Amino acid sequence: MTVNLKNPKNGSPKLGIWIFGVIIGSILMVGAGVGMQISDRRPFCASCHIMNEAAVTHKISAHAELACNECHAPHNLAEKLPFKAVAGTKDVFFNTFGKIEMPLEAGESTRLVVNANCKTCHHMTNTTVASMDAKGLCTDCHRNVQHMRMKPVSTRSVGDV
Amino acid sequence: MSKKTISIYRIILGSLLGMGLLLSGCTDVGELTPPVYKTKLPPEEIRNSAFKEEFPLQYNTYLRNDETQVMTEYNGSVNYNKHNNVDPLPEGYKHAQPYLKNLWLGYPFSYEYRSARGHTYAVEDFLKIDRINRYDEKGGLPNTCWNCKGPKMLEWVKAQGEDFWAKDVNTMRDQLDIKDHTIGCANCHAPDTMELRLYSVPLQDYLKAQGKDFAKLPRNEKRALVCGQCHVEYYFLDKSFGPAKKPKFPWDNGFNPEDMFTYYQNQGECQVKGFEGNFVDWTHPVSKTPMLKAQHPEYETWVNGTHGAAGVVCADCHMAYVRTDDKKKISSHWWTSPLKDPELRACRQCHSDKTPEFLKERVLFTQKRTFDQLLIAQDVSVKAHEAVRLALEYTGEKAPNYEDLVIQAQQMIRKGQFFWDLVSAENSVGFHNPAKALDTLASSQQYSQKAVDLAGEATRFGISKDLAGDIKTIVPPILEHSRKLQQDPEHMKTHQWFKYIPVLPAANQVWDVQKRL
Repeated sequence: MTVNLKNPKNGSPKLGIWIFGVIIGSILMVGAGVGMQISDRRPFCASCHIMNEAAVTHKISAHAELACNECHAPHNLAEKLPFKAVAGTKDVFFNTFGKIEMPLEAGESTRLVVNANCKTCHHMTNTTVASMDAKGLCTDCHRNVQHMRMKPVSTRSVGDV
Repeated sequence: MSKKTISIYRIILGSLLGMGLLLSGCTDVGELTPPVYKTKLPPEEIRNSAFKEEFPLQYNTYLRNDETQVMTEYNGSVNYNKHNNVDPLPEGYKHAQPYLKNLWLGYPFSYEYRSARGHTYAVEDFLKIDRINRYDEKGGLPNTCWNCKGPKMLEWVKAQGEDFWAKDVNTMRDQLDIKDHTIGCANCHAPDTMELRLYSVPLQDYLKAQGKDFAKLPRNEKRALVCGQCHVEYYFLDKSFGPAKKPKFPWDNGFNPEDMFTYYQNQGECQVKGFEGNFVDWTHPVSKTPMLKAQHPEYETWVNGTHGAAGVVCADCHMAYVRTDDKKKISSHWWTSPLKDPELRACRQCHSDKTPEFLKERVLFTQKRTFDQLLIAQDVSVKAHEAVRLALEYTGEKAPNYEDLVIQAQQMIRKGQFFWDLVSAENSVGFHNPAKALDTLASSQQYSQKAVDLAGEATRFGISKDLAGDIKTIVPPILEHSRKLQQDPEHMKTHQWFKYIPVLPAANQVWDVQKRL
């Protein structure tokens, strides 16, 4: 059976529309997926120049191979989508119209999301100790994991953020 | 159905089963939560060895407390005499304070005061020390001293209640095992769940008075408070203030030296003029001053220091996470100085951008300056005792308000020496709180010097010529002194200050550790 969209008499018009929909849908899905991945990563985030310092410090860190949002957004897609939408919109808005205090400080929601992601990946190294309970955040002790810590003092925007 | 079809079905079914088995073997990790234990131990277990089987890794690190050799710059595991800066290890050490026996004359601390070994020696060294009288059936100190020697306290206090404290310390001398009942697991852990818990009565009393429930405090606070069960300044109640000799922490006004000193001013039964109502540990026989003896205030020092204020607690540095089997992360139970690790890993957990050499230099920078000022504070304190001694014995023309001035001088001796002692007895040579340590020592020097000035004024400066010059020549440090030596009239002629304490009647040793001789 051949599909002829121009001539309804030669086949089912409904089936044609369905198949067209699936193709478009697939392209959109793949596109959204690729877009989601690209917008999770450093080259995208660093395209706004206020993110430059965060990107540079990420690039020299132990986590350089990871995408920004491996730490900065929830891993669960249902939580990730709204979180990323809000955070992204906020970033775009303030970058364009707002007044931004430098250096950038992670807000409370980001801190908690990042902390949950530390625990997800480093789960197995902490099952025998109550380390996650000893301090509020992993970075309270592992201070060098935070962005500015890895940068030579002379090149930081402030001494010891 | 043909045989061929059946085989195809079987293959498909088999594959599905196989895949199912494989998939059922895949499990996601759970939520990361503090480990929960349900041990085979009864809740009242207190023997250290009982924990070995279930917690072999932690127990092995605990056994490292047996180490008695490794020194740091200002301290270490050799139990040298802390006043002996003449002899080499193990009897003395370069950084000792030569005037300890002078400053504590007339008090058991003047007989023997050594650098502490690990917690595993707590009972053994306690029973060997000359502070408890081993030349008599009675030790001359109350049972309260046992409070920080191990978890046996849980049983004793439960059985004897408030009557326990005031009984003589020797009544319990042979009632425990020196290794199995020394400070260990049950002092901080509930044996059945391994949750952090308190055994120490005075800390429980303090938290209760503050309206705090230990079980509900954040783990971070618990990880400091379990150490604060003992690593604190404390005193034993005079009987009109509660059960006689019950231990209490002097924290009602706060954790700073001035707060604690003020607290002690109306917590005792002293009737000496100028010291009415003061809590008094002993009267210094040379200056006749009602004194305070400070004990290791690590908790109070740390609490508002650089690290304490930032929420870094005892266990973070002194019980750092280690992987002794290269697999599981555990808290090290070798309670010692992080400086003993050449890599300073405990510090570099947070200060990972710094080298071990840099960090060690920073610690020593603080410790050197603190120890230098500690020695000066100690010298001025000795001078103050000597000044008041001279004033008390002065026969020349006195100031019209002589008596008041001498009392004021003694009050300054009491305060100056207490402040010095708070830093002297504290186990970090200032590192736990550099600014507070130096502030406390500066205050100590000023109070002690004030005592010297007031004594001078009382005698219209008639004693001043006797105090001119090096204090080490005027009042030499007492190098040798003990209960046995105090029985020897010849020894008692070797220092000018010995005439202010009695020669003890000759007696033989009655106790050797746990053995009655």
